Amino acid sequence: MPQQTDHAGASRARLRALLALTLLLLAACHDRRERGIVIANLSTEPPNLDWSRATDHVSFNVISNLMVGLTEFGEGGAITPMVAESWRIEDEGRRYVFTLREDARWSDGRPVTAADFVYSWQRILDPATGSEYAYLMYVLRNARAINEGKLPVESLGVSAPDARTLVAELEAPSAFFLSLTTFEITFPLRRDVVEKHGAAWTEPGKLISNGPYVLTRWDHESVMEFGANPHYFGPAAPTPRARLLMIPEKTTAMTLYDRGELDVMDNHSLDPLDIPQYENDPRFERVPQLRGYYYGINVSRPPFDDVRVRRAFAHAIDRSIFPKILRGSEWPTSSWIPKGMFAFNEDIGLKFDPDKARALLAEAGYPGGKGFPTVTAMFNTAEHHALIAQALQAQWRENLGVEVSIANMEWKVFLDKLQNDPPQMFRMGWGADYPDPDNFMNLFTSYSGNNKGRWKNARYDALVEQAARELDPQKRRDMYDELQRILLEDDAAIIPLFNVTENTIAQPWAEGFHLSAMARLPLYRVRLIEEKMP
Amino acid sequence: MSAYLARRALSGAIVILAVAAVTFGLLRLVPGGPFTSEKDLPPQVLENLNARYGLDDPLPVQLGRVLIGVPTLDFGNSMKFRERSVREVLAQVGPVSLHLGLQAFAIALVLGLGVGFVSAWRRAERGRAGTGDQALQALVTVGIALPSFVVGGILIYLFAFQWPVLPPARWEGPLHTILPSLTLAAAPAAYIARLSRSSLLDTLSEPFVRTARAKGLTELAVVVRHAIPGALYTVITVLGPLLAALVTGSFIVELIFGIPGMGRFFVTSVTDRDYTVILGITVLYTAVIVGANLIVDLLYALVDPRVRVGEQGGESA
Repeated sequence: MPQQTDHAGASRARLRALLALTLLLLAACHDRRERGIVIANLSTEPPNLDWSRATDHVSFNVISNLMVGLTEFGEGGAITPMVAESWRIEDEGRRYVFTLREDARWSDGRPVTAADFVYSWQRILDPATGSEYAYLMYVLRNARAINEGKLPVESLGVSAPDARTLVAELEAPSAFFLSLTTFEITFPLRRDVVEKHGAAWTEPGKLISNGPYVLTRWDHESVMEFGANPHYFGPAAPTPRARLLMIPEKTTAMTLYDRGELDVMDNHSLDPLDIPQYENDPRFERVPQLRGYYYGINVSRPPFDDVRVRRAFAHAIDRSIFPKILRGSEWPTSSWIPKGMFAFNEDIGLKFDPDKARALLAEAGYPGGKGFPTVTAMFNTAEHHALIAQALQAQWRENLGVEVSIANMEWKVFLDKLQNDPPQMFRMGWGADYPDPDNFMNLFTSYSGNNKGRWKNARYDALVEQAARELDPQKRRDMYDELQRILLEDDAAIIPLFNVTENTIAQPWAEGFHLSAMARLPLYRVRLIEEKMP
Repeated sequence: MSAYLARRALSGAIVILAVAAVTFGLLRLVPGGPFTSEKDLPPQVLENLNARYGLDDPLPVQLGRVLIGVPTLDFGNSMKFRERSVREVLAQVGPVSLHLGLQAFAIALVLGLGVGFVSAWRRAERGRAGTGDQALQALVTVGIALPSFVVGGILIYLFAFQWPVLPPARWEGPLHTILPSLTLAAAPAAYIARLSRSSLLDTLSEPFVRTARAKGLTELAVVVRHAIPGALYTVITVLGPLLAALVTGSFIVELIFGIPGMGRFFVTSVTDRDYTVILGITVLYTAVIVGANLIVDLLYALVDPRVRVGEQGGESA
């Protein structure tokens, strides 16, 4: 018996030694962190790196690290030169003449020419391209007719008299045209590359870029890598390599961050529930975005066909609750043009005033909420939308004495519902495509497909057109003030709630990471301090 | 045999075509389309997009295109990942799910059969359930009851934080496959263990086992040569659907571990109304199920000599 026990003990010891050896080997095999490379999470596969066809922020985040355009959206919302070193505006705002930098080069060393922009703009408007953002280029002469297949692409109002001169002719004066040139869809394209490789031209080794990085690796659905572009005219990226992971689950991304396997985190990777844990970290940052969140109202259906009811609902909301329940730093606002954009004016809009709200509702025939019909506020299925709807429901109950039912739907079903049979109230948001108030105000023109509330105001429509053409900044600012007053106060067609803010965090060794107000992820600015790395 | 295989292949092809046609119809009935977005598109832009992806053709023409594409999984380009064809997408995500699924299947099979048979044998030897047997039964019950995101969370906590020996996520090399495979295998392993245990216990009480014992064979020989093949018959019944389910991807496991597989892709494609990718994955999934069931039917014949495939009626005892 004692012999058997010794034997069993020896076996157990051998088993333990084997287990320890296996764990050691596994740990040795598992390299936790590669040096000299900045690593971030992109969250999902970018749907499209062809900037004529891209539509989403994930794709634009990648493109913005690889490419630069005529101009860029700089500090404080200024439009600053990039490939265009200067420009002049002629013919009372109908003609823009850009002079390109001499040292702008593609990653294969070829100069970036005006013809590359001409090709890009013609391609986006070619109906065969099927570009979702083609309509943004309708400001160019003949653009709409080209996109409708009525004119050839060569008739587009853009030309290249020489390699360094680009001339854009517009249908009408457009004050926002310059801000459009910050948008990735307007970036130059290499005809030879696109025609040689077809749809595969966006793959590594084929995609030729003109920005800080070149695309060196793309394992679809998994990982993407950039290397430094040796021909970039701007400051070289402090970290010569960058890697983007495609981890959709926030908790998983946070696990990798906590283990030091990710250098920076943005809102798409940072779980709101984790924000309290990180917000005291010195590298935690809140970046206001040019993005607004609002409740739309179907003005064609009672009781919201009465403007007093709409105003009452807007006055009954204490917007300061949203940053608390959403745990971010959403910026409560009753105005619509977002903070950081030209013509932002926080004084506009119907502020929280419960007494006034009750008086307006009584005036409309519902004193104390008595006799108010059942109304429904609808949102697409998501936790934060539900929290917002519940908060609004409680405030309307408390401040107006009315009962609002809330309902949710799957995203595409919700959009279909808004399109065909808009509910009485619905949540919606808008993020800037280009940093100009026109992008926010033309949504609610009577002819806009984005105006789901079926509100119409002829004065508003005319003024939107007028403001888009006005080149005098002060006059233009006044026009947008008036437009916001019509939309938010006189007619109370929508109820803005807050501007969205991105929460970001970076490791102590990752310096220089600041998300832009357009939610772009500039990895080419991140410097890694090797000594601080684990 | 060959006639039987031809018949099964034909019926399988009909099933796959029918599934493709029904999926096509259902996709058109669901509200919202691939180009429905928060930013409403001008009619002309929408027309251009529909023309580019053939959505402006009459529905019968579109259906015809789908059915023609079934044999080669050629459904055109993804409507979300616009520069990539469905075949490229499947070639990218399919092997990942296949690798993960097969690895999980192997683990589930080895663990499940091992635990099930050992547990049953010990139970049969003692004539009653011992402590070890009860503990295994408890473990099996927990394995079946725990959802994969809990199992995954526990494994990540243990092997990525407590003893940081394995990567918690991503799909970069063999080490990255261990935790997701174990997570994916946990529930099937527990299920196979329970099934194989009860099946072996049943078989051990069969007359032919008593006969084998009476002939003087050792207990090990009785169990391995006579009882286990009989018990496997029941287990094999579930292996086909189980294999199909594992190799076609698990949304939760792929999401937790950041694995670029088919399960994750399928769910997001449905959300995005990516018609072509949904069709591609559905057809592939159906083909795998049809194929796995056929393999299982053939395995019956290997395990149980009483089963003959290819005779009248397809199979008979």
